[in-house]
Amino acid sequence: MNANAIFAEALLDPAVPCPPGLASWNGSDPAQRFAVYRNNVVVGLVDALADSFPVTQELVGETFFRAMAREFVRAAPPRSPVLALYGQGFAEFIESFSPAAGLPYLPDVARLEMLRVLAWHAADAAPVSRQALAAALAAAESLPLARFEFVPALRLLASPYAIVSLWAAHQSENAALELAGVATDTPQTALVCRHELEVAIYRLAPGAADFLAGLLAGQSFGAAASAAFAGDPEFDPAATLALLLGAGAIAGIATPRRMS
Amino acid sequence: MSILPLAAGPRRSDPAPARSLPRRAGIGLKPEHFRAILQTLPDLGFFEIHAENYMVEGGPFHHWLTRIREHYALSVHGVGLSIGGAAPLDEAHLDRLAALLDRYQPESFSEHLAWSSHGGNFYNDLLPVAYDRVTLARVCEHIDRVQTRLRRRMLLENPATYVEFAASTMDETGFISEVVARSGCGLLLDVNNLYVSCTNHGRDARDSIRRLPLDTVAQIHLAGFAVESDSLGAPLLIDSHGTPVAEEVWRLYCHVLDRVGRTPTLIERDNDIPALPVLLAEAARADEILCRLAPMRRDEVRA
Amino acid sequence: MNQTLTAASLAIALGTAMSIAAAPVVAQDKMMADKEKCYGVALKGKNDCKAGAGTSCAGTAKTDHQGNAWSMVPKGSCEKTASKTSPTGHGQLMEFKEKKA
Repeated sequence: MNANAIFAEALLDPAVPCPPGLASWNGSDPAQRFAVYRNNVVVGLVDALADSFPVTQELVGETFFRAMAREFVRAAPPRSPVLALYGQGFAEFIESFSPAAGLPYLPDVARLEMLRVLAWHAADAAPVSRQALAAALAAAESLPLARFEFVPALRLLASPYAIVSLWAAHQSENAALELAGVATDTPQTALVCRHELEVAIYRLAPGAADFLAGLLAGQSFGAAASAAFAGDPEFDPAATLALLLGAGAIAGIATPRRMS
Repeated sequence: MSILPLAAGPRRSDPAPARSLPRRAGIGLKPEHFRAILQTLPDLGFFEIHAENYMVEGGPFHHWLTRIREHYALSVHGVGLSIGGAAPLDEAHLDRLAALLDRYQPESFSEHLAWSSHGGNFYNDLLPVAYDRVTLARVCEHIDRVQTRLRRRMLLENPATYVEFAASTMDETGFISEVVARSGCGLLLDVNNLYVSCTNHGRDARDSIRRLPLDTVAQIHLAGFAVESDSLGAPLLIDSHGTPVAEEVWRLYCHVLDRVGRTPTLIERDNDIPALPVLLAEAARADEILCRLAPMRRDEVRA
Repeated sequence: MNQTLTAASLAIALGTAMSIAAAPVVAQDKMMADKEKCYGVALKGKNDCKAGAGTSCAGTAKTDHQGNAWSMVPKGSCEKTASKTSPTGHGQLMEFKEKKA
């Protein structure tokens, strides 16, 4: 092992002794000075997670969150110097983290927060123009086979838990009151999308969730809408499309070339 | 309100980017201040960004930086290249850096005499290097690769450190002087780092300054530190960037300016970020000192 | 119901959506009573040069969550959440035992 390797191993594992070969001018204990680096590394990475997962932190409290995040940092330090995207894998870690097992919804809340981070930094793309929409509408006969294109800042997450309500309650001034009204075991699907400079999170009704999932999987407009109706008689295609347009989620509508 | 006669307010839509930063004070660009900066367009020499924060595909960071860049000079400061690391440089990271520099055309690019990555892991700290021949050769090789790939001269920042290595065969100033001489890079003199390291290792700060290659100093950093103590009770200063610049560091800054002349100076703040006017006031203090103490450089008079 | 939607019905849906999306936001919210939409706090830059002062134990603290001395101590907002179906009841966390190195 070279000097970097020995140093690096001791940074993350407090059970590993201070690396050999460190010195201090006054003969003070190098281990205590080395602890400054240990602290910087771990605290800096835990801070990065706290910034990306604020609702996860509020749910479990700062003390618990930081202890849990520290375990994650040690188990899965960043593989890239770009910390903006650090934390992918945190939700899976929480799933396997037994002290948090009492909160079965916690991994999906963390998943939702990571999708928000990814949407925040995703590539820019202009939403579909009114002209393009009007053109698609004018070629109405080709709409059943039309395929929707979506902006890169769109993400979808289906959960057996009320993740959107849990998340939304924490954006309120009165989180405690709102949380009391959340039935955590209600399945919810979240739509995460950046529109201009803001990332919004929407709760999708079951039919809307099926419809969007179908479109994202490459189904045509007609096929996705039919499947959504089949699964949810309440499916409202107009309201769903309005939501997607308002969210800035749709980048374009590709209609098949008309056969003559 | 303009303090400096040479500053007539922020530059608006300057078509051709200048080749170097204005010899004035700047501050670090923080997302907390994006809107306030564009609303007030404060009179400031430049902004500095941490390169890695903008290595994302799109979104608000690029939106704001693009707009702020239209009005101000820009310094890009890398914190993740691991120039002091034993492993070869991360070429993918260099590619990201090249793309960022290409996009924003900054007047300055700088990195650290430190390492932060090993075995594919990123440790998110500026970790210390031993000052020996092997490290010297490696650091020079890495800087050469950076300057070749980025097609520009880089500035290397002196580190704030908490430990020394028994294996070191050179002192820090000797090591840095060799690196600068061999690689042709410039020096980013972080006066706070210098003060922190000198305190932490029982060195004389003014003596260290004298022994650095001062003619290559192209930028200065100023920041605040936190005070802890080592196991013998001696002060152990932490480069926290969480407080205003300390008075000792301001005094050392004046001492440096007497020797290097008017030099672009950054007020760094990364912790407990205050409101924009607080940082602008610190920058104004640096500007006032720059104007009062530092003689014009010969090249500046000509221009 | 017919499993295959007609082109006309899809066109009506898209046309209606366009007029809803073109309406002012307040009106949109009225038209979509079921909608739940929320924004979060802004993200910060995560790469910086700061060193963590005043927390010098955090990097060296050892966490032991293998032990059997768990007690149920919810400390966050999860205390306000509840589940009728979960045998443990949501809102419960295991306590960490921390040892300073």
